[in-house]
Amino acid sequence: MLSSPEQMQKQLSDAISIIGREDFPQKWPDLLTEMVNRFQSGDFHVINGVLRTAHSLFKRYRHEFKSNELWTEIKLVLDAFALPLTNLFKATIELCSTHANDASALRILFSSLILISKLFYSLNFQDLPEFFEDNMETWMNNFHTLLTLDNKLLQTDDEEEAGLLELLKSQICDNAALYAQKYDEEFQRYLPRFVTAIWNLLVTTGQEVKYDLLVSNAIQFLASVCERPHYKNLFEDQNTLTSICEKVIVPNMEFRAADEEAFEDNSEEYIRRDLEGSDIDTRRRAACDLVRGLCKFFEGPVTGIFSGYVNSMLQEYAKNPSVNWKHKDAAIYLVTSLASKAQTQKHGITQANELVNLTEFFVNHILPDLKSANVNEFPVLKADGIKYIMIFRNQVPKEHLLVSIPLLINHLQAESIVVHTYAAHALERLFTMKGPNNATLFTAAEIAPFVEILLTNLFKALTLPGSSENEYIMKAIMRSFSLLQEAIIPYIPTLITQLTQKLLAVSKNPSKPHFNHYMFEAICLSIRITCKANPAAVVSFEEALFLVFTEILQNDVQEFIPYVFQVMSLLLETHKSDIPSSYMALFPHLLQPVLWERTGNIPALVRLLQAFLERGSNTIASAAADKIPGLLGVFQKLIASKANDHQGFYLLNSIIEHMPPESVDQYRKQIFILLFQRLQNSKTTKFIKSFLVFINLYCIKYGALALQEIFDGIQPKMFGMVLEKIIIPEIQKVSGNVEKKICAVGITKLLTECPPMMDTEYTKLWTPLLQSLIGLFELPEDDTIPDEEHFIDIEDTPGYQTAFSQLAFAGKKEHDPVGHMVNNPKIHLAQSLHKLSTACPGRVPSMVSTSLNADALQYLQGYLQAASVTLL
Amino acid sequence: MPTLEAPEERLRKFKYRGKDASMRRQQRMVVSLELRKAKKDEQALKRRNITDLSPNPSSEKLAKAVSLTLDEIVSRVNGTDPHLCFQATQAARKMLSQERNPALKLIVEAGLVPRLVEFLKSSLYPSLQFEAAWALTNIASGPSELTQAVVEGGAVQPLIELLSSPDVAVCEQAVWALGNIAGDSPELRDIVISSNAVPHLLALVSSTVSIPFLRNITWTLSNLCRYKNPYPCAKVVKQMLPVLFYLLQHHDTEILSDTCWALSYLTDGCNERIGQVVGTGVLPRLVELMKSSELSILTPSLRTVGNIVTGTDQQTQVAIDAGMLSVLPQLLSHPRSSIQKEAAWALSNVAAGPCQQIQQLITHGMLPPLVALLKNGEFKVQKEAVWTVANFTTGGTVDQLIQLVQSGVLEPLVNLLSVQDPKIVLIILDVISCILQAAEKLFKKEKLCLLLEELGGIDKIEALQLHENRQIGQTALNIIESHFFEVNDFAVERGAHISWWADQQ
Repeated sequence: MLSSPEQMQKQLSDAISIIGREDFPQKWPDLLTEMVNRFQSGDFHVINGVLRTAHSLFKRYRHEFKSNELWTEIKLVLDAFALPLTNLFKATIELCSTHANDASALRILFSSLILISKLFYSLNFQDLPEFFEDNMETWMNNFHTLLTLDNKLLQTDDEEEAGLLELLKSQICDNAALYAQKYDEEFQRYLPRFVTAIWNLLVTTGQEVKYDLLVSNAIQFLASVCERPHYKNLFEDQNTLTSICEKVIVPNMEFRAADEEAFEDNSEEYIRRDLEGSDIDTRRRAACDLVRGLCKFFEGPVTGIFSGYVNSMLQEYAKNPSVNWKHKDAAIYLVTSLASKAQTQKHGITQANELVNLTEFFVNHILPDLKSANVNEFPVLKADGIKYIMIFRNQVPKEHLLVSIPLLINHLQAESIVVHTYAAHALERLFTMKGPNNATLFTAAEIAPFVEILLTNLFKALTLPGSSENEYIMKAIMRSFSLLQEAIIPYIPTLITQLTQKLLAVSKNPSKPHFNHYMFEAICLSIRITCKANPAAVVSFEEALFLVFTEILQNDVQEFIPYVFQVMSLLLETHKSDIPSSYMALFPHLLQPVLWERTGNIPALVRLLQAFLERGSNTIASAAADKIPGLLGVFQKLIASKANDHQGFYLLNSIIEHMPPESVDQYRKQIFILLFQRLQNSKTTKFIKSFLVFINLYCIKYGALALQEIFDGIQPKMFGMVLEKIIIPEIQKVSGNVEKKICAVGITKLLTECPPMMDTEYTKLWTPLLQSLIGLFELPEDDTIPDEEHFIDIEDTPGYQTAFSQLAFAGKKEHDPVGHMVNNPKIHLAQSLHKLSTACPGRVPSMVSTSLNADALQYLQGYLQAASVTLL
Repeated sequence: MPTLEAPEERLRKFKYRGKDASMRRQQRMVVSLELRKAKKDEQALKRRNITDLSPNPSSEKLAKAVSLTLDEIVSRVNGTDPHLCFQATQAARKMLSQERNPALKLIVEAGLVPRLVEFLKSSLYPSLQFEAAWALTNIASGPSELTQAVVEGGAVQPLIELLSSPDVAVCEQAVWALGNIAGDSPELRDIVISSNAVPHLLALVSSTVSIPFLRNITWTLSNLCRYKNPYPCAKVVKQMLPVLFYLLQHHDTEILSDTCWALSYLTDGCNERIGQVVGTGVLPRLVELMKSSELSILTPSLRTVGNIVTGTDQQTQVAIDAGMLSVLPQLLSHPRSSIQKEAAWALSNVAAGPCQQIQQLITHGMLPPLVALLKNGEFKVQKEAVWTVANFTTGGTVDQLIQLVQSGVLEPLVNLLSVQDPKIVLIILDVISCILQAAEKLFKKEKLCLLLEELGGIDKIEALQLHENRQIGQTALNIIESHFFEVNDFAVERGAHISWWADQQ
C-alpha cells in the first residue's frame, strides 16, 4: 500500500480504518510499531501513507464518547506514537527550510504537515494528554511559525480549490481553537500570539473562494475568543477594534462575484443560505458572528466604527448607483448584522442594538429603493430592502410597514426569483404578526384596499419562470386567505379554479412537499371561509374538486392521498343534513385492505371514517349494514398493531358513540374479546390508556350495568378483575382533558349506577375505585413509562407520524362526547353520590369514612360543598 | 460498535426514568483512566526528608559528620564498630538527602538496606536508629521498586517497634518511613496495616505531642486511608475515625489538610464507606473548613463533601443539613477554576437527588452562579455545570424546570452545543428535549421554541443532525422533527384550548 499512488493510498487507508475499527489494537498489536518504524525511512511518500492510515484510524477519537475501552486505546497510541510524531513534525519543518526552493519536495512535505496537524487534533481531542502538555512549547511554537509562513512556490492559481498552505493553516486554526476552548488554563500563555497571527493572516488573505474555509475558520476562532471575559483586553484597544472592523469584518461582508452568480443562476440555494441560515460556513456568517462576539463587550465602540463605514459606503453608492451598488449592499448587511442580537423565523429580530436607528435607516435608505418604479432594477438591493423589512418587522413602526405592503405586492412581479420570492415571504411574515390582544397586527380591513391586486400578483408570480412550485408564494397565498377571511369570498370561483388547475398539474409529479402542503391548506381555507358564510356552497366545491380527487385516487398519487381524505372529511363534516349519496358510494372502497397497508394513509382514513360515522351512522345502519363487519375488520387490524392501536380506538369510539345500539349488538362481545386478546399478547401503556377511555365511554353510552354484564358474560368475575388490575391501578395514566373527563364520568356511573357494586363481592372495590377517581382529579398525571417501552414509544406516540402530514385547516374541533351532559365532573360526582345515598341512606357515608384516606376524604368534602349537597 | 452500546449506558448513567436516584450520581471514577498529567493540587504520595539541620540534638554531640565514598560506607556499615556504623549510616543518609539527584538507587544496589534494617533494632544506639530510619525513609520515598526493596528488607516490623521508642526523634522518623511505605500502593499499605501499625500510631496522638510530629502522624494516617481496589479494611478505618475526628478540630493548616485528605479517600467509594464517615458526625466541621481561605484545606474538605453527596439521599441530606449549600455559591465563584470544578461536581450530585433536594438547591440561590459558570467557566468547569443541569432536569418537577429556564440556563447551553465534546453535546440535547417536553405539558412550547431559536439553538441543532456521532445526529433529528416541524406554525390556530379541567366554580 505504501508504495501505491496517492489516490490508491487514500482508498487503502479507508479500508484500513474499517479493518482497524474491528482489529485495532488487540488483534493488530504490531501495527503501531510498524508505522512508527516507517517514519525513519526518510521516504516521504511512504511516510505520508503511514500518516494517512494513522489519520483514518484515529479520527474517530473526535466524535466518540469517552469510555474505558476508547481511552485505553488512546493511551496505547500516545505511548507509542506521540514522541515519534513530534520528532517527525520537527524534522519535517526543518526539511521545509532546506528544500525551500524545491516546489515538488515542498508539496510532499506540506502534505505531511497537514496530516500531522490533523493527527494532533485527533490525539488531543478527548483530553489534553500529558505528553502534549509537556511538549506544548514545541508544537505551539511551530504551529505559530507555520501560520505566519508564506512561500510563493506553494501558492496556487486555482481560485476555487484550497491549496496546501490554506489547508494547513486552516487545520492549525482548528487546533488552536480546540486548545483555546478546552484547555484554556494550559494554553493561556500562547493564546495572545495566536490571536495576533490569525488576524494578520486574515488581513493578508484575499477574496478568492479557495480561502473561504481558512477565513471562516480563522474568524470563528477570533469570535470565540473575543467574548471570553479574560481575553477582553486583547481586543479593547480602539486601534485594534478599528483594524478588526476595517480589515477583517468589512471585506468579508462584501458581495462577491460568486454570490452574484448564485443570486442569478442558483436562486434556490441562495435563498436557502440567506433566509434559512444554512450559511454556517460562509465568510459573511463568520463575520456576523464576530460582530456579535465583539458587541458583547464593545457594543458602543464597534457601533461607532461601523457607523462611519456605513455612511461612507452609502456616499459611494450615491455618487454612482449603477457602478457602486455593491457598496450599498454591504452597508445594509453591516447594519443588519450590527443591529440584530437575536432572531427567529416567526418574529424576525427580537432583540436589537439600541445604538442603531433602524427606522431612520428604513425611511432614508430602504423605502426609496422599493418605491422606484422599475421593479427589476438593482435586484440585489431590492432583495436586501425586502429582507430588511422582513427581519426588522418588529422594530419598524406599523405605519411604515403598512406603507411597504403595496410596495411588496408590486415586487411580486419582479423577474428575479429571489426578489419575488422575498416579497411573497415578507408579506407572509407580516400577515402573521401579532398585535395587541393576540389578534393579527394587520386587520383584514387594513389590507382590503389591496385584496384584488394581492391575489392577482400572487397567482401571477406562480407563472413566472422558475417559480411554478414556489413554496414561499404558496404559503403567502394560504396566509392571505387566512388573514382576509370573508374578503376573499368574491374571488373564490377564480381562486379555486386556479388552485385545482395547479393541483392537477403538480399531481402528475409531486416534487415540492411544502408547496403541496400549503396548496392543500389553501384549498381547505377556501372551503371553510366560504361554507361558514354559506354552507350550501359545499356542493360547488365538491363539483370543482371531486374530478381531480378521483384522478388522484385512480392514479394512486401516494403523496396526495392522505390530503385528499382530509379535505373530503372537511367537506363531509360541512354537510348539515344527511350524508350525500356520492359519499356513500365511496364508503365500501374506503374499507379495502390495500388502502390500509400504507401507514401514511391511516390517520386520514380513520378521520374520514369518523366523519362518515358522525354524519351518516343511520344511513350506514339502514343502507349499508353489511359493511359493518368490514368496518370492524379495520378496527381489528388497527388494534393488532402497537403503532396504530390508538387509531383503532378512535374508530371504535366513534362506532360506540354514533351507531344505533341495535346495529352493533351482535358484535359487542366479540369486540371485547379482541381487546382482551391484545391485552394478553402485548400490554403497552398506550394501549391501556386507550382501553380505559373506551370502556368508560361504553359505560356512559350503554350504562354501568351493561359494562359489568358484558365483562362477566365473557368470564365470571372478569369485571372485578378489570376493576382491580386495570382501572384502579392505571387510571392515573390517562392523559388529555377530554379523555380524563370521559373516564371521570364513566367511573362515577360505575360507583353510583351499578347495583352489583353495592351488594356483591365487588363492594370491596367501591372505595378503592372512588379513591382512584379522586386521584385522577387531584394528583399529577403518571407519565412514567416502563423501561422496556423506552425505545418503542418515540414512533408510537399518537400524533407523531412521519409519513402523514396533518392539515391544520382541515382539523376539527376537539370533540367532547360528554360535553352536553357534564360540565364539571367533580360536581357531577358529588351530585351522583348524593343521589346514591338517598337511595340507600347510611351506606355511602360509612363506606367513605371507613376506608377512604384522609386527603381524598378532604377533597371529596370539597366537591360536596361546592355542589351544595350532603351524603345521607 | 461502541456507539451502539451508548444508549444503554446513558439510561444507566443519566437519562434515567426509574426512581433509583443513586444511579444518577456520577462517581468520580466512571472512567478510571487518565490521559492528563496528575494534578498539582493533590496530596503528596511520598515525601523525602531533606532537612539540612539534624533535628536531633543527640547526634550533634557526636563528631562532625564525615564525608565518605559509597565503597567506604559499604565497608563500614558491615563492620561491628557502632561508631563507624553510625558515621557511615549518617554519610549514607546525607547522600540520600541531597536536594538534587539523590543516589537512592545506588544505595539500594549497594545492598545497604538489610544493614539499615538491622540498625533499626539497635536500641542501645538511638542516634544510629535515627539515621537508619531517616535513610530508609528517603529510600522509600523513591519509585515503587525502591519502596519495595525497603519492605523486602524487613523494615516494616522494626519500624513499628520504633513507634514505642522513648526517643522522640527516632519515633517521628519511623512514622515518616511508614508513611512513605503505605503511600506506595494498596499492597504495601496493607502490609503496614496487617503488621498492626495502626494502634501504635494512634497511641502517639495526644495533646502533648509537638505540632511537627503530629503533622507527620496525620500524614501517615492519611496514607493508610489512601487507595481503593481494595480499600483499607473497614475494621481499621473504624479504629482511625475517632482520631481523625479529633485531628479535624486542630487549628494547624497542614494537620487539617492531611486529615481532610484522609477523609476524602475514605469517602471515595460505596455508600457503606461513606456511611462510616458520615456517622462520626464530621460534616458540620467539614463544611466549616470549606470556608477556609487556605487552598490546602479547602481542596480536600470540598472533595470529601463532594464524595459524600455521591452517596444515598439520606447521606446527602446530612451534608445539606450541615450547611454545604450555603457555602457552595462562594466556591462556585472562587478564583481558582479547580475549586469551581469540584464545587460544580458536588452540586451536580445534589441535583441528582429527589426534587426536595433540588428545591433546597434553588432556595440557596445556586442557579445564578451555576449559569455564570456555564457562561464563563473554563471548559472543565462548564462540563460539571452541564451535568448539574442534566441531573436537575431529569429529577426536577415542572415548576423547578420553569425556574431553571427563567434563570437563563438556555443561552449558555445553546452556546455549548458547539463545544468539541460529543458527550456534553448529547447531554445538552437531552436536556433541551426534556425541557421542551415539560413546556409541551404546560402549553408553553411555542414560547420556548422561539426562545431557543432566538438563541441560535435551532441552527445549531439542525447542524448537529449531520454530526459524525450517530447518536447525536439521531437525537438532534428527533428534536427537530418533534418540536420544530413546520406544523408548529399553526399552533396558534389550533391551540385555543379550553381547559375544562380547571375548577369552574
